[in-house]
Amino acid sequence: MDLFFFPHLAPDRATTHVALFRNVKNAADLRKRIINAATMEGEAGEIAREDVNFAFIDARLITSRLHLQTAVYQSILAEAQNGLRTRTIHSEVLWNLNPTNNITEAIRRYGVSDATTSLLVVRIDGGTTPPIEMESKVKKVVDGGLVPLSQLQEVTDWSTIKKYHKLTNELSIKAVQEDPATQFAIIDNIVTSTVATKSVMA
Amino acid sequence: MVSQGPTSALLEKSTLISQGAEAAIYKASLALPPPSLATNEDTNHQDQSAVLIKYRFSKGYRHKTLDMTLTKTRVAGEARALIRCLRAGVNVPGVRMVDAAEGVLGIEWIEGKSVRRLLPGGAEEENEVLDEAQDVTEEEIDPLKDFGVSVDRMMTLIGTEIAKMHLVDIIHGDLTTSNMMLRPTTNSQPDLVLIDFGLSYQSALVEDKAVDLYVLERAFNSTHPDSEPMFQSVLDAYQAKMGKEWNAIKRRLDDVRLRGRKRSMVG
Repeated sequence: MDLFFFPHLAPDRATTHVALFRNVKNAADLRKRIINAATMEGEAGEIAREDVNFAFIDARLITSRLHLQTAVYQSILAEAQNGLRTRTIHSEVLWNLNPTNNITEAIRRYGVSDATTSLLVVRIDGGTTPPIEMESKVKKVVDGGLVPLSQLQEVTDWSTIKKYHKLTNELSIKAVQEDPATQFAIIDNIVTSTVATKSVMA
Repeated sequence: MVSQGPTSALLEKSTLISQGAEAAIYKASLALPPPSLATNEDTNHQDQSAVLIKYRFSKGYRHKTLDMTLTKTRVAGEARALIRCLRAGVNVPGVRMVDAAEGVLGIEWIEGKSVRRLLPGGAEEENEVLDEAQDVTEEEIDPLKDFGVSVDRMMTLIGTEIAKMHLVDIIHGDLTTSNMMLRPTTNSQPDLVLIDFGLSYQSALVEDKAVDLYVLERAFNSTHPDSEPMFQSVLDAYQAKMGKEWNAIKRRLDDVRLRGRKRSMVG
């Protein structure tokens, strides 16, 4: 488990828990479970929703720790100003990550799909829960190997990211075709900036 | 202060660097750096959590609604210009946070020095809040030496960067040597980074590009003594990068020099 810590925020928003899983085996079941939880009623529904009260993000589409952190931070800002464009702060993270304004597309692309094997699990409002407890909660829903967030760079799918952000023909990318490391750093900066600017792009 | 918003809490914890009439500039830290970086030795991987905050405070002399709209539009405009530049490969700071309602734009912290302070005559800044007295005395030796570039090489970098920006039809609007920074890199050559896109806009007009250059020429002349050969090197590099667009811009620049940056003489 990893943390984003924003020292200036109120205690219930200062800590975000982040877990990176690889070799996830239950993506299809997980997706069904999230959908079911959303429609269940009564107390059973509350419990079911709390169990999956995370943002589940396809890790292939995240370029860096800063990229994800920026999406989380902009979601917290939107919530604080009653400016959420989706139903929950966790779905807002997915919306912030997607370059277009289409919520369904954001969830389809950046959320968990049946084929997902690398998964980022994010819990924004869990600051009061100790990391150990959060870890066991996360492990209850995801069947896969929990690895350090630093392994993110091993799962990033740069060509899909380029496609989604329409970067292939940009001068910045073309200029460094021969130098993947530099190109990845530039893509990372562009997508992180795009996430940060999302709220005023519309 | 019962319920303080995230952005005012952030500003309270930040350090004021510079204060102008339109905005205040702060250095801030959004998040604690990840543990892996905090423990590792500094592999030139300078603190990614540092951001520069440009806070367009509310102007009491404007009507509230107008103030809000103007601020929002300007924050959004600046952020969009930066993204357009990033996509085109112009060296500019990346965007890190936007809170348009509060008038706050958070951008990548650029480590380095402004071109103004690296050239003769530019050492004194009027608006510095921070005390940089000891910095200035050190620099008198040869500030550029630390970066391993000659003045001429720096001018080439400036011309190239402006051309890259003009090629995608972005006009900076306030090109001065204070709005350019030299940033050390891991390889031998430093980056020239353009900053402050607060007055930038999009335009394909030869007139606007020529005026952009003219504003820079005036800035050179008024800040740095004997700067004509320097500005000529800027133009040479600009010409090399612009290609066939250059001839029209060159002709227009000569016109602008005769009449000043305001085109219309009526009104």
